[in-house]
Amino acid sequence: MSEYQEYRLEREQIDFLLERGYRITRVSESLSGAFLDFELIEGTKQEWKQLNIKTPEGRKYFSTLLFKKKLN
Amino acid sequence: MADLSIDLAGIKSPNPFWLASAPPTNSGYQVQRAFEAGWGGAVWKTLGDPILNVSSRFAAVSFNGQRVAGFNNIELITDRPLEVNLKEIYETKKRFPDHAIIASVMVEPQQEKWHEIIKRIEDVGVDGYELNFGCPHGMAERGMGAASGQVPELVEKQTYWAKEAASKPVIVKLTPNITDITVTAEAAVRGGADAISMINTINSLAGVDIHSWNTIPHVGGKGAHGGYCGPAVKPIALNMVAECARNKMINVPISGIGGISNWQDTVEFLLMGSTGVQICTAAMHHGFRIVEDLIDGLSNYLDEKGISSVMDIVGKSVPRYSDWGNLDLNYKVVARINNDVCINCNKCHIACEDTSHQCIDMLKDTSGSSFLRVREEDCVGCNLCSIVCPADGAIDMIELTNELPPMTWNERQSFLGGISSESVDFVK
Repeated sequence: MSEYQEYRLEREQIDFLLERGYRITRVSESLSGAFLDFELIEGTKQEWKQLNIKTPEGRKYFSTLLFKKKLN
Repeated sequence: MADLSIDLAGIKSPNPFWLASAPPTNSGYQVQRAFEAGWGGAVWKTLGDPILNVSSRFAAVSFNGQRVAGFNNIELITDRPLEVNLKEIYETKKRFPDHAIIASVMVEPQQEKWHEIIKRIEDVGVDGYELNFGCPHGMAERGMGAASGQVPELVEKQTYWAKEAASKPVIVKLTPNITDITVTAEAAVRGGADAISMINTINSLAGVDIHSWNTIPHVGGKGAHGGYCGPAVKPIALNMVAECARNKMINVPISGIGGISNWQDTVEFLLMGSTGVQICTAAMHHGFRIVEDLIDGLSNYLDEKGISSVMDIVGKSVPRYSDWGNLDLNYKVVARINNDVCINCNKCHIACEDTSHQCIDMLKDTSGSSFLRVREEDCVGCNLCSIVCPADGAIDMIELTNELPPMTWNERQSFLGGISSESVDFVK
């Protein structure tokens, strides 16, 4: 898979969780890339997911989304 | 015609082209020939205790047919008595009163030595002084030149001592043989420098003869490091000028030096904060009359841009130079191959495939002819293909509009640090 395809996949995964109402609660970056912790709270139900974002474009993407949110 | 005259810390010159302190400014005969040819100023070859030189002094590096891509020398400062130089400076200034003559000076780092030589030069009519804190060879072994120019405290003190005795502006010439030139530039400013100039030559060994095993150049079978200059050093010099120009603590004019070979190089140095330029290697390679092309080119450039004075472009690119952390991570360019111009040499494909991001495909059209195409989604915009391409116009780097807003690394880090400790209520 080309790096671009890998990035598209990562981007889709991020978008999918956000569209389902998850929010990013934690970003940790390491030698293995970025780990995004997502949380969904629906009433008393709580769910967690984690994504490992490895591509540089993917890491730019989620940080730009967060940056945009911060600016707004 | 645009006004090419400059005023560098009070030193006036009919144009920004000065000969740098070096072999071309060794004598009155040479400097007067240079002024007749059109040079606006000259920094006289460094005055100090007359030295002894060796024979076999210069060497050049040629690259792919380009002669003198880089130039190396192991010549020292003037080997003539001070009185001889002063007499010729006086005569030259008398004949060319509107041209700038700057005395380059180098003595041991002692207050009385600086006072003595400055006072002896004062009366001959120089327009300013340039303190040589940069020569990397020979004199540095005796504690002068680059040896004292690498120690900020010595730069500051010696500048102060020179200023105590000088009635004319003092320019401090800095060595590039240091990790951060802004440190010594700031020291010069603290010492009272009216201007700074950069860069002096870079420590170098031009080569080794692979048959005789001698260094190039060698003096009877033995070599020593020299100072490197010429076109090869231009990017290093330009960066150092720019770093000083954008440093708020360095609030004095800059005289730019380092591989300047044509009017375009000159414009680049002026845009990056030089008030004027000093040239040596290009004059040594092609003679004093290159100044005619320099003047014509600069003048036409300014006229075409509708700029009335060369001083108006000084520093105009400085605000566009910053730290890497302030660059937009979301800015995007990609390569695009113009197949009607492409000569199918495949250099771009090989460069991309072997050493970059593997995004140029070799394809065949319906008639079986080969052509190249960039997969833009995989292109990172590194520019390598357009750099190696031998056909002008065959590859364009195209700016893409990005749906994502601009974001720098510094901006990213400033907010991302907080996210690990607090929740972000984020909905796309």
